[in-house]
Amino acid sequence: MESVIKLQNVSVSYLQNRKGIHSIKDFVLKASFIAPFQKHRVLHHIDLDIQKGDSVGILGPNGSGKSTLLRCIAGIIRPEEGTLQTHVRISPLLALGAGIEMELSGYENMRIALALTGNYSKATRTEMIEKVSDFAELTNEQLRMPTKMYSTGMLARLSFSSVMTGHPELLMIDEVLAVGDKGFQKKCMQRIHQIIENGATLLFVSHSPNEVMEICKRGICLKDGIKIFDGTSAKAAGVYNKLFD
Amino acid sequence: MTGSRKYIILFLIYKNLQLKYKHSALGFLWSLLHPFLYLLIFYTIFSHAFPNIQNYPLYVLSGLVFWIYFSGGTSQLCMVFIKNTFLIKSFNIPKTLYPLTELGSELLSFLLGLIPFMVIMYFMGLHITFNLLYLIPVILLFSIFIFAVGIILGALNVFFRDVGILWNTINPALFYLSPIAYPSNMVPEQYKLIVKFNPLYHFLQLIRNVLYEGTAPSLHYMINCLAITLVASLIALLIYRKIRNGFISNL
Repeated sequence: MESVIKLQNVSVSYLQNRKGIHSIKDFVLKASFIAPFQKHRVLHHIDLDIQKGDSVGILGPNGSGKSTLLRCIAGIIRPEEGTLQTHVRISPLLALGAGIEMELSGYENMRIALALTGNYSKATRTEMIEKVSDFAELTNEQLRMPTKMYSTGMLARLSFSSVMTGHPELLMIDEVLAVGDKGFQKKCMQRIHQIIENGATLLFVSHSPNEVMEICKRGICLKDGIKIFDGTSAKAAGVYNKLFD
Repeated sequence: MTGSRKYIILFLIYKNLQLKYKHSALGFLWSLLHPFLYLLIFYTIFSHAFPNIQNYPLYVLSGLVFWIYFSGGTSQLCMVFIKNTFLIKSFNIPKTLYPLTELGSELLSFLLGLIPFMVIMYFMGLHITFNLLYLIPVILLFSIFIFAVGIILGALNVFFRDVGILWNTINPALFYLSPIAYPSNMVPEQYKLIVKFNPLYHFLQLIRNVLYEGTAPSLHYMINCLAITLVASLIALLIYRKIRNGFISNL
């Protein structure tokens, strides 16, 4: 098996305004000219080796660094320490509302998403847009509306479909399934299975251990930015459940 | 990847222009109306106050058009990272593309607006000579300066949200500090230093060399503007490099 993502001793820190300084007024009053920012570490020395075709579920309480881990792999955040190697075409992160411009229509957002995923060319344009709208089950009328008028579920449908319709080599899903209705969830699950069968790699963040067990073979569990478990998804779900006992 | 990078850039520009004019009935015409209204006001009020300026309307308009590009461009860039939060958080494309495309769309609407204004300026007595070609390097330099100022504002605005508010307050003050509606030689000797401290003063001189006097830009102001742009770019680079990694957590 070839390793497609390899994290060695990766730590990520965020730059935070010191003492809750969010305006220049605070900045002056609290006299923090010398060091206005401080670092806050969110991921601690993560080692992770993901093989081609792996399906990895990522579990953990809120604020444990799951989304940060995905963003780090997606190249959106740079690790502060350690090395990160990816040997796979990175597609955008699927998170709620991610990449959607609320003032633009569904069609326009679709085109932007397709361009950003590298799936937009003159030759395939119409075909791709048709496929995406079919999958999203949004009507022509709905797709012409500005997305600010969309419901949460419709937004999830739109962003999910724009990414899923291409042929992603690496799929990263950050809790978008939860807001779709039952029918759409089912359809997405099927599509995810299909993509994995085609040899793609999946990273799946969720709060539902059952979903993780259903989709993923492997599971990891994060707590306070530390990887506390890495093994089968069933065992990871057990570890996760125990955190709340 | 390079192919889709091109699309991304085009789409971001398209998106900016769409967002700017989409829900307005007059659309692009607004960007022409704005300087025109000011011109009208200045012409009726100030042309009698400054009788010693030759061809006052041309003097005002040449400054106004560029001022609006500056104030619009910097205000847009100031918000650029905040506006694109969702895109920045989900797509792995260089973050500099957002301000670059933002400036690109501002430049585009500025250049489009320049066409009718050049026609108006022609009727006001603008000399059509090859010297007008100097506008190209001048606009280029001015755009880089706007970009640098915008990056400084935009990057800081992510951490301190009142930078945007502050800039909107300073903007009109800067307008009256700059010799747009009045001639710079009218400023009393003891305040001259303040005027010269304003970077826009030097750019305005450069622009008026070409558009108002119809000559080549003077070497003196050209060097000043180059130096100003260089310093602004360096500051922008320093600030941006220092804090760009903190964007995600503060957006």
